[in-house]
Amino acid sequence: MTTSDHPENPDGADSSVTADELRALSAFIDDESTDAERAETAARVARDPASAATVAAYRAQDNALRALFTADAAPQLIVVRPRPRYLMAASWLTVGIACGLLMHLTLPMFDREHPAPMFAQHADIAYAVYAPEQRHAVEVAASQEDHLVTWLSKRLNRTLTIPSLHEYGFELVGGRLLPGEDGPAAQFMYQNASGQRLTLYMTSGSPKRKEEYAIRMLRDGERRTFYWTTDNAGYALSGQISEAKLRAISFDTCAALGGDPKRWQ
Amino acid sequence: MSFETDLVAVLPQLRRYARALTGDRAWADDLVQDVTERALGRHSGFRVGSNLRAWLFTIMRNLYIDQLRGKRDIAVDDETAPWRQMAAPVGEVDGLVLRDVQRALYCLPVEQREVMLLVCVEEMSYQEVSVVLNVPAGTVMSRLSRAREHMRVLLGEEPGRKSASLKMVS
Repeated sequence: MTTSDHPENPDGADSSVTADELRALSAFIDDESTDAERAETAARVARDPASAATVAAYRAQDNALRALFTADAAPQLIVVRPRPRYLMAASWLTVGIACGLLMHLTLPMFDREHPAPMFAQHADIAYAVYAPEQRHAVEVAASQEDHLVTWLSKRLNRTLTIPSLHEYGFELVGGRLLPGEDGPAAQFMYQNASGQRLTLYMTSGSPKRKEEYAIRMLRDGERRTFYWTTDNAGYALSGQISEAKLRAISFDTCAALGGDPKRWQ
Repeated sequence: MSFETDLVAVLPQLRRYARALTGDRAWADDLVQDVTERALGRHSGFRVGSNLRAWLFTIMRNLYIDQLRGKRDIAVDDETAPWRQMAAPVGEVDGLVLRDVQRALYCLPVEQREVMLLVCVEEMSYQEVSVVLNVPAGTVMSRLSRAREHMRVLLGEEPGRKSASLKMVS
């Protein structure tokens, strides 16, 4: 114990960081600040070691809590105890629940019979490899976005567009060239204010590609990859954010890149 | 998508939250059972198009608080407190020993614990949490901030003290 003079009050405010500032740091991590607040807090974190330590400590708590409680996909049997006046309704609901559970049970098997295409697996692995990188996450940074687009369009032999994920709080970090199953592939990395990362993987438009893929999901532990094809090109969006959020971003991204997500619903 | 299918889709999250909140598997399973039964019984009380997850979490939260009162407030240091029967987790995440984090979590007052779990584990927005708990979003923000600081103190990392997690900043 170094500085034990501070009373252990629940507000935990110490001399350097006020309760208001602590709330701002908390909101900053949860991506709940306005643009102006976010900029102000980011600046504070950059110049004040105590604030930076607080942010790091809070993020560590979040990660530890998530590690403690993982979602249990194993279905629980819900017994619907019929009451006289609900008898008919309840019996139908039991059927509904049973069907729901069956769907849950059969979905993974279905997935095993239809393994994800190679490009989706490559994308997933590329996320696992590059997303944790601090210093070499990308080859070309977002500050040179024009160069990045020109370079990768040339290598993939088609005109690429980098969709904006700004409305989801993710900004482009940059991109890199990767070897793909048939020719070069591109990976674009995005990051939000709390440091979470997403990658968007794109292949060249190979005429060899016969299969078309609806938006589907590949999952490895906490890591999820939504993938699809548009005009012979494969796309995959990977990340470790919640499934619903990632799915929503995937649908938007698919549309932004000329695909029609409605076809897949 | 039918109401029942949507409900089934939320079950894994409900169960995770029930376990985290109670710290007791059996209690959690009973809670999920009760919530599902009530949700099916009060199906008509759910406005189509509103947030089903928040609605279910609210039912669970209210049930839990009622049951907790019935148990006459389990003292946090009580050897018989349900969470003490939980398997001790092994390992560390970001320099925090998971066992310590588990212990600290159940030392928090329930109002702080629930906010922390809803935001950090269930990844709900402050707005969604405010619906679940029926309090203003500003209250969610200050409770969460207090919970995080409280936990930091419980984990022995007073503000400003050098800790392993400082290595995270690079």
